[in-house]
Amino acid sequence: MSFHPLMDYGKGMHQSQRALADEGPAFVFTAENLATLEDICSRYPAERRKSAVIAALYLAQRQQGYISRNAMKAVAAAIRISTAEVEDVVSFYTMFYQRPVGKNIIQVCRTLSCALNGAERLTDELQKVLGISTGETTADGAFSLFEVECLGACDRAPVVGVNDDWHECQRPEDAQKLVDGLRTKGAASLTGCHLHKEHS
Amino acid sequence: METVTLTIDGQSVTVPKGKSVLEAIHASGGHVPYYCYHPGLQVDGSCRVCIVKIEKMPKLQTSCSTACADGMVVTTNSPEVEAARASVFEFLLVNHPLDCPVCDKGGECPLQDYAYSYGPERSRMEFPRRVFDGEGVKADVDFGPTLMLNRNRCIMCTRCERFMKEVDGDAQIGVFQRGVHSEIATFEEKGVVSLLSGNLMDVCPVGAITTRDYRFKSRPWDNPMAVDTICTGCEKGCNTTAWIKAKPEWAKGARLVRLTPRFNEDINQYWMCDIGRFDYHWVESDRRLLQPHVRSSRGSDATPWDEALVAVKAAVDAAGASHARVLVSGHASLEELYVLKQFAGLTGGVTFSWRHRPKPQPANTQFPIPAVDAPNLRGAKDLGFKLGATDSATDVSGLRAAVDTGAVKLLYVIDPGPDGSVGDTEWILAAKQSGKIATLIVQGVLKSALTEAADIVLPGCAFVEKDVTFTNATGHVQPASRVITPPGDAAEDWQILSKVAVAFGATVAQTTAAAVRQAIASECGSTPGYSALADLAFSRPVSARQYMQASNPMERGKWDTMFQDLPPIKFGDDFGPLPRADVIPLKPV
Repeated sequence: MSFHPLMDYGKGMHQSQRALADEGPAFVFTAENLATLEDICSRYPAERRKSAVIAALYLAQRQQGYISRNAMKAVAAAIRISTAEVEDVVSFYTMFYQRPVGKNIIQVCRTLSCALNGAERLTDELQKVLGISTGETTADGAFSLFEVECLGACDRAPVVGVNDDWHECQRPEDAQKLVDGLRTKGAASLTGCHLHKEHS
Repeated sequence: METVTLTIDGQSVTVPKGKSVLEAIHASGGHVPYYCYHPGLQVDGSCRVCIVKIEKMPKLQTSCSTACADGMVVTTNSPEVEAARASVFEFLLVNHPLDCPVCDKGGECPLQDYAYSYGPERSRMEFPRRVFDGEGVKADVDFGPTLMLNRNRCIMCTRCERFMKEVDGDAQIGVFQRGVHSEIATFEEKGVVSLLSGNLMDVCPVGAITTRDYRFKSRPWDNPMAVDTICTGCEKGCNTTAWIKAKPEWAKGARLVRLTPRFNEDINQYWMCDIGRFDYHWVESDRRLLQPHVRSSRGSDATPWDEALVAVKAAVDAAGASHARVLVSGHASLEELYVLKQFAGLTGGVTFSWRHRPKPQPANTQFPIPAVDAPNLRGAKDLGFKLGATDSATDVSGLRAAVDTGAVKLLYVIDPGPDGSVGDTEWILAAKQSGKIATLIVQGVLKSALTEAADIVLPGCAFVEKDVTFTNATGHVQPASRVITPPGDAAEDWQILSKVAVAFGATVAQTTAAAVRQAIASECGSTPGYSALADLAFSRPVSARQYMQASNPMERGKWDTMFQDLPPIKFGDDFGPLPRADVIPLKPV
C-alpha cells in the first residue's frame, strides 16, 4: 500500500536480523484437532475466544512436532487474533518449539535451586554425552537439549524435563544413564521421581 | 460527579472518582515521569518510573495504575521515591545505546530528558550492551512502508503494541521473546502496514520507531517555530501542529518539515492518519503554480495579476456570465465559498466536486478515516450551497450534461487542494479538447493536466499558506493557520475570487479576510460554531520554548515542568546568557 509516492519502500534499508520461525509445510488442523479446539474455545465467552491460544498451540505442536509460521497462521485464523499475537505467545514460552526438534526433548532447569545443585555441570555433561550444544538437536533426530527456567520441582533439584515428565535429582554422572535409558527403553526408562539414597 | 479527595505532596487535591494517581498528580500541577502510560491508551504499568509513595501501602506504587481513593497520602519526591526512581532509570538505561547525538529523537526524547532529571548520575553497568540487529546504523531496520525500527533503543513500554491493538484495530506488533531478549516485532518481519502507522512515532518515548519521512531531516532545535493548524486532507479535520525549519536549505528548501497531531477530544484525540501526516510535500514542490498564466496565440504565458484579471473579465464578457459555470472542489474554505456565493447567482451555476476514496482499514478500528477527501463540504452546505444528490459521492452529472449540450461556454475550476481533490477531471479535458468548453479558467495550486489545458491559470494558496476556516463533517468550525508564505505570486484564494467577482459584475464589500469571516458569522450565526468566526484568532508561529506545549499534550506536562528546574541549555537566547559552568556540576570521581 503506497500512500506516499516519495517514499521508496524497503530500498537500501537494513533488514531485521531477527531469527524467524521455520516456515514449515502448509498447515491445516486435522478434523479431530479442530473439533477439540472448538470444544476448548466453547469454554470461554465468545469475545474471549483468544483465551484458547495456548491450547490451540499445543494442539498444533502435537500435530506437527513444532510450531511453524504456517501453523501460527492457522492458529491465528482459528482463534481469530493476529499472527503477531500468536507469535508473541509462541516465542514467550519455552514449551513451544519454532523449528523441528528431536523425538526426546531434554530440558534442564537452570533456575536458582537447580543451579545451586549443579544444573550447569549436568548440562555440560549432557552436552558431552549427546555431542550437541543446548538448543540443538542430535543428527539422528533422537534428542534435543534445552536449558529452561524453573520447572516447578525445586525440592528435587536439579530437575530435568524429559518430554512431558520430570526427571529429578539428576547429578552430572547420571547423564549417560538417562540418555542410554531413553535410547533403549524410551519413556519406560523414566520411573517417576529418581531419588538417590543420600537425598532420601 | 463523584469525587475523591487525596493529599499529594502535602496539598489536598480533589479529582473525579476513577482517575489514576498519575492523572491526579498532573492535574494538581505536580509531575511524575512516565513512559508506558499514554492518555489515549490503556494502562500497562510496565515502565515503573511513575512510582510514588502512598501511605499505608507496603511498597512504592506505580501511580498510573493506582486509582485515587479518599484519604490517600501520596508523596512524589521523598528520598525513598527518588532513590527507587533513579534505580528504575539505571535499569532502563542498561541496554539503551548512548547514541543521542545521532538519534532522531534526540532533543525531544522523554528518556533523555527524564534520565537527565530523575536518573542516576552514572551507570554502574560495565558489560557490553545487548544488541539486536547490529551496532550503529545497522540497528535501524525496515519496519514497513513508513517507519524504521531500532530495537536497541527500545525500552519495552509497549505503547506501540497497544496502539495497534486498541486504536488501529489490527495488532500487527507483538512483543516477541522474553525477558531481556524481548523485542518489538511484526510477524515475519513484514513491518507495520497501516494508515495510522505514523502515530507509532508519536507514542514511542524513545528513538526506536522513527518515520522515514522525518528521519535525519531535522532536529527539534532546527524547528524553532511551530504553528497549530488543522489537516484538510479529508472531512475529519484533524487538529495538527506544523513544524517550520529554521534553515530550509538543510531540508532541500522545505520550510514545512513535519506535521504532528494535536489533541482534540471531539475530533482526533491524540492521533492523525498517515495521509495527512506524510502527504504534504506537494505544498513546497516544484509543481506549484507561481504566477498567473494566460493563453494567447503564442501559448500559455506568465502574466502579472492585473493582466490576468483583465483576461478573465474579457473571457467572461465573451462567454456571457450566464453561460459560465463554476466547478469547486471540497477544499475551498468558508471565506472562499462566501465570496463565491456573492457572485454565484450571476453565473450559470456552481457545482461541487470532490474525491470519494474509501480507506483500507481494519473493521474494528477506533480511528476511522472518512472516505470523503474534502474538508469543507459541511461548510458549503451551511453557506447554502447545494452539493448534489447525495452528500458522500460527488455528483457532476448536471454540469456534464450541460457541457455536452454546449450550454457551457466558460468553466471556472476552483481547487486549492492537492492532486485529485476536484475528483475526476478527464471529462473536462475531453470537453476542452473537443471544444465544448470554449474557455477554461483554473484557479489552483498545483500544475496538472487541467492547468496545462487551461486558458487562464490563477495561482492560489495551499492550506498551510493562508488563514482560513473549514467546517468538518461533525460541524466543528476550525481555523487553518498560515504556516509559511505562499510561493511566487500565488495569492489567497478569497482575494482572487473577490477580484474575479468584479469580472462577473458583482462587488464584494469585504476587503479583509476578517471582514469576510464577520459576514459569515452574522449570516450563519445561528448555526453552532459560526458565531465564533467573528473574532477568530489564528495560531501564529510559537517559539521553541512553547513548541512542545503547542504540540502533543502527552508531552505537554513534560515541557511545562521539565525545564523549570533545569539550566536553559536547550534553547539558548530565550533565557538570557547561558550559565554554562552550572550545567552539569562536576564532581571528583
